[in-house]
Amino acid sequence: MPVDGMKVKIRGDVSVYEKRGEYQLYVKEIIEAGKGELYLAFERLKAKLKDEGLFSEKVKKKLPFIPQNIAVITSPTGAAIRDIITISLRRFPNLSILVVPSLVQGTSAAQEIAKKIDFLNKYFKDLDFIIMGRGGGSIEELWAFNEEILARSIYHSKIPIVSAVGHETDFTISDFVADLRSPTPSAAAEMTIPDKNNLINNLSLLKSKITRAVKRNFELKIENINSVSRSLKYQGPENKINQYYQYIDEFSARLNSRIKHQVELYEERVKKESQRLDSLSPWAVIERGYSICRKIPGKEIIKRLEQIEVGTKIEVIISDGKILSKVERKEAVSN
Amino acid sequence: MKNKKKVEDIPFEEYLRKLEKIVNKLEEGELTLDESVKTYEEGMNISKICLEKLNKTKKKIEQLVIEGEEKYSTKPFSEKEGEDIINEF
Repeated sequence: MPVDGMKVKIRGDVSVYEKRGEYQLYVKEIIEAGKGELYLAFERLKAKLKDEGLFSEKVKKKLPFIPQNIAVITSPTGAAIRDIITISLRRFPNLSILVVPSLVQGTSAAQEIAKKIDFLNKYFKDLDFIIMGRGGGSIEELWAFNEEILARSIYHSKIPIVSAVGHETDFTISDFVADLRSPTPSAAAEMTIPDKNNLINNLSLLKSKITRAVKRNFELKIENINSVSRSLKYQGPENKINQYYQYIDEFSARLNSRIKHQVELYEERVKKESQRLDSLSPWAVIERGYSICRKIPGKEIIKRLEQIEVGTKIEVIISDGKILSKVERKEAVSN
Repeated sequence: MKNKKKVEDIPFEEYLRKLEKIVNKLEEGELTLDESVKTYEEGMNISKICLEKLNKTKKKIEQLVIEGEEKYSTKPFSEKEGEDIINEF
């Protein structure tokens, strides 16, 4: 596979596209003809700077999470600056961007960019970071970013540097030295500028989580109080009193049935006694033929002769009525 | 005054972490009522600080004009395409 900077031999035809007057090269075969000059220079410088520790992860500076002031060193008229500004402001509308115009290709470009990095370090110390780069191009057009003078300036910068050169597949020395390498200028903005809306959404999410959690805590506490007061009620005087009530209820029911039983017993006894009384009643005797004599008036029962005189009016009570009579004679019985 | 300066010095992401911790603490539900009220207030305060931090900067797009070794000025970014972009926002 041919790569940038490779020296190749090509076999094919050249023709002219007449409509536009353009030369066209139809390639049939590509043969590698050794590493190209630029490729070798790149590899040599890369190895050298790596040995010196310029690419070490340890010396890379961290970018602030919320940048406020950033600078962009690039061509003021390219698509790169346009993309960076557009994307940055879309992600974070209130951002301060300092555009630092510079040549980005040609023999003096590397030196110019290096100078601007130094200048910013001197006079704009409060910058959060610098995005330095350009859009895509040939290896020759991107060459400024492979030069040692720029690599050293990036390394010495106190302000973090983001390298944003060419396309995804282009790797430059600047990319290795920079504190952050982004594949393209647009990606540099995407990577370094946070999405403010996301942050705000995240904040409100956390806020509502907090509110919800506190509310839940309160509800749990209330639940606790309720359950404690329930068990308190169970052990408290109210329940004791209820228990007594219940005891009393039970007791009085028992008492009732006991009394009822007693009453029944008495009733039974009364019935029996009255039956006995019946059999003792004088009427029962009279029924059998005996009679009772009583004085009139006074209704005194006559048991002895001495109670009457001849001529005393008496009544004789028999089973179905009484006989009124008068004493005619008294006759004692001697036995 | 001293407190105010401290807020400035603490970066946004640290406040964000604090806020996440507060959420965790509250969601564990081990706090007393007093503590959860206090933590709630702290959380609301921090989220306010975070929002302030996000809104602190003013939008500004300027171009650096280097006029000499130690001389420079800034002017509004005036590249024609750039101007169009600025007007979009």
